Amino acid sequence: MKRKTWFLAMLCMAVCFSAGSVFAGAYDAFQGKEGTIKISGGTAHIPVMQALAKEIMTRHPGIRITVAGGGSGVGIKQVGEGLVDIGNSGRKPTDEEIAAYNLKVHQWALDGVAVVVHPQNPVKSLSLQQVQAIFAGTATNWKDVGGPDKVIHVFTRDEASGTREVFWKKALKKGPVTATADVVPSNGAMKTAVATDPAAIGYMSVGHIDASVAPVTLDGVKPSVETVRNGTYAVSRGLYSNTKGEPSPLVKAFLDTLYSPEGRAIIERQGFIPVP
Amino acid sequence: MKTTGRFFVLNIWVVGSALAVVSGAGVVIGFVIWRGVPALRPSLLFGSAPPWKAFWGHVPVFDGLWPAVLGTVSVVLLAVGFAVPLGLAAGIYLAEFARGRTKQMLSVAFDILAGIPSIVIGLFGFSLSLSLHRFVSPRIGPCLLLSGFCLGVLVLPYLIRAVQSALEGLPLSLRLTALSLGAHRIQNLRYVLLPSSLNAIATGVILAIGRCAEDTAVILLTGAVALAGKPRSLLENFEALPFYIYYVSSQYTSAEELQRGFGAAIILLTISLGLYLIALSIRHGIGRRVFYGR
Amino acid sequence: MKRRVDGLRSEKAVRMALATAVVTAAALTGAIFLYMLVLAFPLFAHGHVFRVLIQDWAPLQGRYGIRPMIGASLALSFGALALAIPVSLGCAAFVSIWGRPKPALFVRRFVQTMTGIPTVVYGFVGAFLVVPVVRDVFQAGSGRCLFSAILVLSLMISPTMVLFFIDAMESVPKAYVLAASALGAGPAEKFLWVILPCARAGLITGVLLAFGRAFGDTLISLMLAGNAAVFPSSLFHSVRTLTAHIALVIAADFQSLEFASIFACGVVLYAVNAAIALVAWNLRSRLLENRP
Repeated sequence: MKRKTWFLAMLCMAVCFSAGSVFAGAYDAFQGKEGTIKISGGTAHIPVMQALAKEIMTRHPGIRITVAGGGSGVGIKQVGEGLVDIGNSGRKPTDEEIAAYNLKVHQWALDGVAVVVHPQNPVKSLSLQQVQAIFAGTATNWKDVGGPDKVIHVFTRDEASGTREVFWKKALKKGPVTATADVVPSNGAMKTAVATDPAAIGYMSVGHIDASVAPVTLDGVKPSVETVRNGTYAVSRGLYSNTKGEPSPLVKAFLDTLYSPEGRAIIERQGFIPVP
Repeated sequence: MKTTGRFFVLNIWVVGSALAVVSGAGVVIGFVIWRGVPALRPSLLFGSAPPWKAFWGHVPVFDGLWPAVLGTVSVVLLAVGFAVPLGLAAGIYLAEFARGRTKQMLSVAFDILAGIPSIVIGLFGFSLSLSLHRFVSPRIGPCLLLSGFCLGVLVLPYLIRAVQSALEGLPLSLRLTALSLGAHRIQNLRYVLLPSSLNAIATGVILAIGRCAEDTAVILLTGAVALAGKPRSLLENFEALPFYIYYVSSQYTSAEELQRGFGAAIILLTISLGLYLIALSIRHGIGRRVFYGR
Repeated sequence: MKRRVDGLRSEKAVRMALATAVVTAAALTGAIFLYMLVLAFPLFAHGHVFRVLIQDWAPLQGRYGIRPMIGASLALSFGALALAIPVSLGCAAFVSIWGRPKPALFVRRFVQTMTGIPTVVYGFVGAFLVVPVVRDVFQAGSGRCLFSAILVLSLMISPTMVLFFIDAMESVPKAYVLAASALGAGPAEKFLWVILPCARAGLITGVLLAFGRAFGDTLISLMLAGNAAVFPSSLFHSVRTLTAHIALVIAADFQSLEFASIFACGVVLYAVNAAIALVAWNLRSRLLENRP
């Protein structure tokens, strides 16, 4: 009996020790490495990038990671020109882009693009046609879609945005976007804009949705992590990190953390679906 | 009497305008202070990192303004380091050696340079980095060095004008005395003219420092980013206070971040106004009174 | 004798060094313009120069005109001037002529200090104080519109204009003012018929420089004007100025025509600025000639 308990205890300790080393394992790959990783591009990716950067930089002060935004178009272009090491995009790079820059595409998450309104707005469900009409500018008042008598304030993203591209293709079906819409430069800015204006409507990454904005049910499907994961919410896209050719060892270590258990935990915490 | 009526209306307009201007600025400053004062704690600068260690850079700071403060200081030093020697030289040349048509044309050129919108200068810097990236070395991109250079270009005309007017404003008797005693122009410059105009030149330099610290448009395009840690290399991106304020205003993700934005605004306001007041007091000779007691 | 020769040689060397510095600095002015032109070239070559300036902005339909941005920049600058000129004039009159010594000095020092307030702080306060108020009071749009930007921009350009106006008013020869008093003119008449006309050139220069500053401002319009690329048709619509367009599109694809459009904006901004500088310089030299 005593031997059994002793053996069990040793087994437990062994498991704990190895679990501990596995737990730190993702960031151990950076041990002894030094250098800088420059990241730019999609704004939806920024929270995940920043969280990872924080973990890595705290453990390994010799490594520097700079994160900038700019949108998917910027990310692809900058990594292609060699200005950054990792270019994030919220849309898959086109074949021309991949060929022109010799891009290696690494997808690490699935994300949805949801229509959002202010939490106090009673309109929480719209049909696809209504959404298209609102963004085209043909429906201009909230009472046209069952809400209060207020002018709709449309917010849209800048031209470099992957979020915008996906929304335009899959929700608006390449329809027009009214030229009088307010233009905001990132997902974070979209969230702030909609959260502070009761008559606003916009679109943003599902992962960025929190209590300050309300997602709109589209044709009966509520945008959430589950509906994006099982495919019932159709307006979805992958989150990609692109490198020019094969990544350097340091960059490869960073990309590997995105697929590690710790990385997946961070991705889930930010509201995205890690790639299986 | 007709005059009284007109006088009354004018009186209202004049006093009212003065009130409007003063209260407008007062509202701006007051609003920033009101919303920002609650944020004035060590955690504003250092986030969750221990202040003393973070100050010396041993520990990275993630939700504090310290990297942005360091970034601003670095870029301002670079800009001033580039612009002061060049501005001094050019200003001396304009004041002492340039004559006639050349002087006129140079003055116009510098007037134009002074008026170029800051974003156009940033655009110039960005495209310069693109060319350098393509033709010189792929390691070059928007970075601290580029921002410093562009900010230098931004304040160069102000420095030139300050030096030029400082030298030209010296009384004729002062300018001629040494020359009449046999010194040549360089000696005159070095031992008489420049020391006498040090006050005005120092004012110009301090105003230039203030201008560099508060500028956003130039660094927006030439290397400032939202997350970069403390500035470590000249060829890398950096954070800066005015950029942080701009970034937070459109994409704050929590009330805490907004609070930090107001805190940053207070810090920047203090730096800018502080520098300006120092410059004003130098111009009014307070420095001389402090140092020489007269 | 030897000392004098050395002196001449060193003077020549120093003079050469200084001249090089000046030439470098002046060359920068030209270099900036050249860069703008060269990089805007694809746009100019693709369509005519006028097409860029006259067309609307619709990149998805292949139209890269910057007409809406030009309209917005002009509307914003003139709007801000319209608000700021009367106020600055009145304030300057208060400081230099009208007000009692103590309040006048206070206002003068206050305005001098005001010029040190960073633009980004104006924009920040505008975003969190002016925009919500405009949205709630005027009930037209999201609050980020031409009107909000005009309000804040006019406040920003006022201090420099006030200081300029004060300078202009104070340089009117006292003799003229005294002569008017001797003829029985009251304060209003002196102000309207003596001081303002005499200070005219300085006042105009101040207005020109303030216009240049308003036209070239980036942050206030970027943060407060809404950034929709449409020609301004109402005070409460979202608009995008030339400067904001550069800041927004800078991140786009380097070789596209979209990217080239920001250099077209740069060319327009530079040209307007150069024109203002030349006119102001002309006025100032005429002012110096005419001074008794």
